[in-house]
Amino acid sequence: MYKKRSLPEKIILIILSLLAIAFFLIPIYWLLTTSLKFGRDSFAIPPTWLFFDATLKNFTEVLAQSKTFMYIKNSIIITAGTTFLSLILGVPAGYAIARSKFRFVKNSAYFFLLLLMLPPVAMLIPFYLIMRDLSLIGTYMSLILLNTVFDAAFVVWMMRSYFADVPLEMEEAALVDGASHFNAFLKVALPLSVPGIIASALYTIIYSWNDFLFALMLTSPTTKTIPLGILASFSSVEISWGKMAVMSIFAIIPAVIISLFLNRYFVQGLTAGATKG
Amino acid sequence: MPVQAGIHSIEKSGATLIQTFTQTIIKKFKADPYFWLLLPLLLYIVIIAIYPLFFSFRISLFNYRLTDPNQTQTFVGLENYIRAFKDPTVLISIKNTLVYVVGTVTVELLLGLGLALLFSPETKLAQFVRSFLLIPMALPPLVVGLIWKSLYNADFGVIPYYLKQLGINVGRGPLGELSTAMPAVMLIDVWQWTPLLMIIFLAGLKSLPQEPYEAAYVDGSSRWQSFIYLTLPLMKPTFLIAFLLRTVQSFKVFDTIYSTTAGGPGQATTVLNYHIYTVGLTFFDMGYASALANILLVMVTVLSIIYILVMTRRQL
Repeated sequence: MYKKRSLPEKIILIILSLLAIAFFLIPIYWLLTTSLKFGRDSFAIPPTWLFFDATLKNFTEVLAQSKTFMYIKNSIIITAGTTFLSLILGVPAGYAIARSKFRFVKNSAYFFLLLLMLPPVAMLIPFYLIMRDLSLIGTYMSLILLNTVFDAAFVVWMMRSYFADVPLEMEEAALVDGASHFNAFLKVALPLSVPGIIASALYTIIYSWNDFLFALMLTSPTTKTIPLGILASFSSVEISWGKMAVMSIFAIIPAVIISLFLNRYFVQGLTAGATKG
Repeated sequence: MPVQAGIHSIEKSGATLIQTFTQTIIKKFKADPYFWLLLPLLLYIVIIAIYPLFFSFRISLFNYRLTDPNQTQTFVGLENYIRAFKDPTVLISIKNTLVYVVGTVTVELLLGLGLALLFSPETKLAQFVRSFLLIPMALPPLVVGLIWKSLYNADFGVIPYYLKQLGINVGRGPLGELSTAMPAVMLIDVWQWTPLLMIIFLAGLKSLPQEPYEAAYVDGSSRWQSFIYLTLPLMKPTFLIAFLLRTVQSFKVFDTIYSTTAGGPGQATTVLNYHIYTVGLTFFDMGYASALANILLVMVTVLSIIYILVMTRRQL
């Protein structure tokens, strides 16, 4: 519509874009190269950006430790458990809020939003004491239960706005044909909202995979997750940035996959959470 | 002990109150078929989240140290809250939290809007770049903190190296100096969360009506004028939502501080969250930590309610 940008304008825009890309991607690039460097090279002055002796030594060393697989296993169990529980509880609740005509049910959406915003540390302290009294510290369950509070609240919030966009007619037809409300939900609404469920699942996966504070307090040496494994590789006998980087790469795999390949769902979730009422 | 008995009766009457409340709700909403789909989660939240919060209030009225071998809980009333307002670290950490929140949110809003404008064209290249810019906000904050800690390292870090090349004295590195630790930690937050604001602003830009722009173009306005007089005012609601959302999130910062400065040097980067963690989960002074947590809870809840009110008003 507007007249073409002039050449200097274009150049400034290109420079700004490149600066932005560099700012946001260099730290990630640095992590990747650190994982491939020998110890002496990660301390090299001046820093080596492109040409260094690449090695898989850090990877083989980290993978040779049985603890690495334990961390990964624990992260997977806790993430899977949290995601499953959050969806089982959150998706029906989101549906109920989207469809119900009762104010109590409708407005409970804001209660869940409020819950989502609570400072985790405020929840962790009493939860830690209760879990301690029940001797559940160090179990997968304690971590799954607490993660689910925040993740299910997010699922509700997202699924509510998703179900609100699913047309009512088919469910109404099913109800007229004598289906129960539960069946209308299960057989009609649920299949239509698969993309929303995927987006919700991706979020719960990221949140529980990335969680550090809860895992820090609620795990025992045998239920430690990857973020705690990263710290362990870091504070043992020597400070090994290479090993830290390798463990970190395991920690960032879901984030990278979801950002690069599933970003359609990811963006949908972000904007649903922030801009839709 | 009369005070103990008082607490006991408060708990008892609280329980009956909750009982009657549940009964009314069940009676009223038995009729609503959708209520049953909400009920499991509601029960879950009451048991796993609301009960601990009440528990936290109760604990905050006691002197309760997990390090005490007898595990005694002595009722002290509001003493923990009074202690909080006299504790110099609390004042410093509240100040640090405010500096952190205001600083990061302001910079992120401005940069986020800039990025959104820069990468708004629907070209293949812009879409490709955008998907890469999503990565930082999906990363574990702990990993982000550690990456930046190595970049900031005074001896071999990349950033001090280039600063030295420019003739800037870095001393103990950006994270080690009193004057630069806070800005250095805030930069990490900016790095991680600016892309989120870019996404929110992109969605906002896309939903803007086209007509005013066409009219402005016909009237001969420049691109810059359209931006100042149309885009900015039209984006105001999105701006407000983004501002509140990030403010609430920014209050939660913990992992980044834990992995970079651990609240130091001195108390330069001790935010309220971190202070609560230190009191409760490293010194195990549970009564006092709960009191601090409840103060934070009230602050964040007030902010969240403002956020929710703004958002619902916008929806109407």
